[in-house]
Parts: sequence; C-alpha cells; structure tokens
Amino acid sequence: MKTLYLKELKRGRKAFFIWTAIVIAFTVMVLSIYPFMEGMGDDLTNMMRNIPDELRKAMGMDEQTWGSILGFYSTYFGIYIVLLTGIYAMSTGATILSKEEKEKTAEFLLTRPLSRQSIFTTKMVSLYTLTLAIIVLQAIVAAISFSVAAETAVDWGNFVTMHIHGAVLILFFTALGVLLSLFLNTKTNFMGLVFGIIFGSYFLNAISKATEETEWMGYMSPFNYVDFNVGDPNYSLNSWSIVVLLVLAMSFILWAASRYKNRDIAD
Amino acid sequence: MGEYILETKDLTKYYGKSRGIEDVSLKLKKGEVFGFIGPNGSGKSTFIRAILGLIIPTRGQAQLFGVDALKNGAQIREKIGYIPSEINYYNGMNAKELLRYSARFYKNGGLDKIDQLASRFELNLEKDIEDLSFGNKRKVALIQSVLHEPELLILDEPTGGLDPLMQNRFFELLQEEHEKGTTIFFSSHILSEIQRICQRAAIIKEGKIVKEEDIQELMKKQMKNCRLVFKEKTKNINLPENAQNENWVDNKLSFEYVGPVSNLMEWIAKQDLLDVTIEEPTLENIFMNYYER
Repeated sequence: MKTLYLKELKRGRKAFFIWTAIVIAFTVMVLSIYPFMEGMGDDLTNMMRNIPDELRKAMGMDEQTWGSILGFYSTYFGIYIVLLTGIYAMSTGATILSKEEKEKTAEFLLTRPLSRQSIFTTKMVSLYTLTLAIIVLQAIVAAISFSVAAETAVDWGNFVTMHIHGAVLILFFTALGVLLSLFLNTKTNFMGLVFGIIFGSYFLNAISKATEETEWMGYMSPFNYVDFNVGDPNYSLNSWSIVVLLVLAMSFILWAASRYKNRDIAD
Repeated sequence: MGEYILETKDLTKYYGKSRGIEDVSLKLKKGEVFGFIGPNGSGKSTFIRAILGLIIPTRGQAQLFGVDALKNGAQIREKIGYIPSEINYYNGMNAKELLRYSARFYKNGGLDKIDQLASRFELNLEKDIEDLSFGNKRKVALIQSVLHEPELLILDEPTGGLDPLMQNRFFELLQEEHEKGTTIFFSSHILSEIQRICQRAAIIKEGKIVKEEDIQELMKKQMKNCRLVFKEKTKNINLPENAQNENWVDNKLSFEYVGPVSNLMEWIAKQDLLDVTIEEPTLENIFMNYYER
C-alpha cells in the first residue's frame, strides 16, 4: 500500500507542480494588479455600468464587485482558479486508473500481491492527496497575497466560504473524472472530455444567470449550487449544496470502486 | 478440491460473444512442471489471466493453493511468480529501480538477489526500461518472477526475445526452481520447449482442452518432418513404416514420420545420403495428426 501510494505521488508530481505553479502564479498576478485597478476608481465604475446586465450577471459581477479586493479576486477565482484546478483534478482522476491500462502496466500492478480494492483505495487516497494539496496551497498563497496587497480590512469569513465552495466543486469534478474513466474505453483522450465537461457546466451556469428564460439550464450544472458572489450582503455557506455535492462525489467513488472490482483488465 | 496447487473446473470466459476459453478443467500437483501448449489465439493467455484475477471468468471456478482465486487474489499472488507474454513496465525507471519497486510489494522481497541474477543473465541494471531491447526486458521479467521465491511460477511464452544462450540459462534456472519444489506452469506454442522441461502437458485449441497427457506419450506420437537428399536420383525406395505424405523433387525426398525414432534412424542409416534434416512439425501439423488418428 505504502509502496504504491508513494509511487503514485511520484508519478503525479510533474503534473502537480506544473498546475500548482500555474494557479499560484495566476493568484499572485491577479492580486498584484488590484492596487492599479483600485486607483482607476470612477472610470471602473463607469465601465461596469456600460457592461450589459446579462453579461454582468453571467460573470457574477455587480457594481460592488470591484470595490473591494475580495470582490475583485472573486471574479477571477470563480472563473479561472476553480476551472484550472478542476481541470487538473478531474483529468488526474480520469487517468489515475485508466493510464495503467493505456500504458499496459495494469498487468504488472494487478499481478502484485494487492487486492483490487486496496489498489483502488490507494489510488484514491493519492488522488485526493494531490487534489487537496493544490487547493490548500492556492488558498494559502491567496491569503498571504491578500495580507500584503489589501489596504482595507478583508472579510476573511467570506474568503473562507468562497474557497470552500471552490474546493467542493473541484472534489466533485475529481470524483466524476474517476467514474467516467471506468465507463469509457481506456484509450479515450480524457483531456478533451474534461475540458468539455468543466467549461460546459461553467457556461451552462453562466447562461442560466443571464436571463430568466434560461434559468432552468443552471440546474444541470454543479456551478449553480455554490456561488462566488462575495459582493452579495447575504453571502454565506450553501451548506445543503455542499452536502449534496459531496454525497454525490462519494457515491461516484463507491460506484467506481464496484466497477473496478469486477472489471476485465485489458491486455 | 484442495490437494492441488492449481485446480480449475469448467473455467469459461467469453468476451461479449467471442470465445476466450470454454470449460477448462486442469489440476496441477505440487512440484509438477506442467506444459500448456496451443497456437496463438487458442486461449492460453486468457486462461492465465483468469487464474491471476486479471479478468473475471464468465463461469466456472479456479482455486490456487486450495483457495478461491478471485476472492483471495492478493494472498495467492504473494506466492506466484509470473512472466507475461508481453512485457510492459513503467517508463522513467531503470531496471534496478523497477525490480526494487516490484520486490517491495512482497513480504519476502528478495532484494539481495537482484545483482546476482542480473549478472547471471548479463542484464545491465542501470539502463532505463524504455531503452531496453525486447530480450532485455524479458530478462527483467524473469528475474522479477523469481525474486520473492514463489511456490508457483506461471510462465506465458517466457522465452520470446531471448537468444539461445540465455534460453539455456533460463531453463537452468527453471530446473533449479523445480528442484526446490516450485510448481511450474509453462505456456508456449513451441513444442520443443515444453518437451524440454515438462512432465505433463495439456493441448488447448480454440479455447478448449483437446488433450492432456504425459510428455513421453506426446513424444511417441509426435510427428517428424524429414527431408533427405540422396546422392543419386532414385525412386525405388521403401519408406520406413509409419511414413506418410512422401514427396519427391529430383533427388530430394520429404515425408512425415510418426513412430519410434530408433526405427527411423535405422532406416536412414541404410540410405546413401548427402544430407538429412529432421525437424519438429508446426503445431498445426501436430493437431492435424491428432485428429487424423
């Protein structure tokens, strides 16, 4: 178990460092441009007014959004950080089992004295170790950058809520990736699928927010159930949505486990 | 069930509608060297993959060391050494790292034996797996299969890619394993390999066991392809008993022979020959032979 766990972390380290570097660099970049944006004051407010309502709603912005560093950061967090981290985590989830078959190393792994269940569990533990590590590292870097860049008090409660919402989405997509990989041919190019699902569900949600007629579309997207709109005075943790998304993620993993247990390993 | 190292009963696997193996029932006693012979696509690897738990049988049972192969896979595989027919390892490791990685999964890893086995098979342990030739990968696989002192060796076409010298060393190693009491299941499409080491063999064709018998018996019935070149063109020669399908081209004669080898040799000795070739027939011929008689 330990041997496999360490090996999995080692195998995943390159992708992990690259993606972590990307999201962290992005976080630092966003927060370092805020002081310049803040200086633009009225111009920015005017510009915001000129954006069509539909687009503004779709992007989850309102006039207060860019009035605070947290509001400013939230628009980037909700789009880029969650999407990028989601793509990393979901594609790792989709390939952690299937790459053994694609690269034909499954035969080696499955003829070691390990049960299928322990292989599956170990791989899931490594997967979630990497996923949680990228989430936590990004949040820590964001918090540090806030402390440096913010000139007024930061609402840390909202900061934490927003990151929890992001993390739940990422964990959900990770589990979905694992499950999908056990339904599809192992030779599938999962990267394209992962991009499609994550961007697709993001845009479904964005379109649903734009007008009332399109609202129904949002129900199909997990993005609909947690929000990053820290400008909202009632912004708080969507506990039920979190519970539902995590229970779904858990059941995806259990379903995947039972499929893996009864699977014919391709030669 | 229970007294055998390996016992299968009506083991069957279909991939969708296509046949893998059908009703394969085999029993291997402890210490036995058992041959499993059949042409490509006859189901040899399917059978092996089913007993190793890589694929889930459609029906039937497989027991190894007296316990169910599917339910107790991890415990069983602790005592099995396996050489697959196609060898695929993780890239980004060298041979030594791979062998060490593999060894760490076993209680009795055998890390200390890596160097000695590598020099015996003239394998450069520092070379990266992806740079190794087919034959050298095969050496890694065979070292890896014996490191943890398995009680059962399952070998699926294990000599592919090895040169004759290495094949000899490999058979010596198997002989040593056999003397230690290791049970060996040797799957191959090359009859001479099976004859060389096995006491008993099963022949599989189109997913079914067509025959299971002692190697001695198999050899008695085994057909030889004979090609003779006479000094002079002659056609008035009485062929030895049990010769069939004779064919003359000028002074060259070819025929198939089934029967005691000594009779054949006696007959050959009496002829006035330039050259003689006696070779093993193809498996297809052996099967034909089985069905004709």
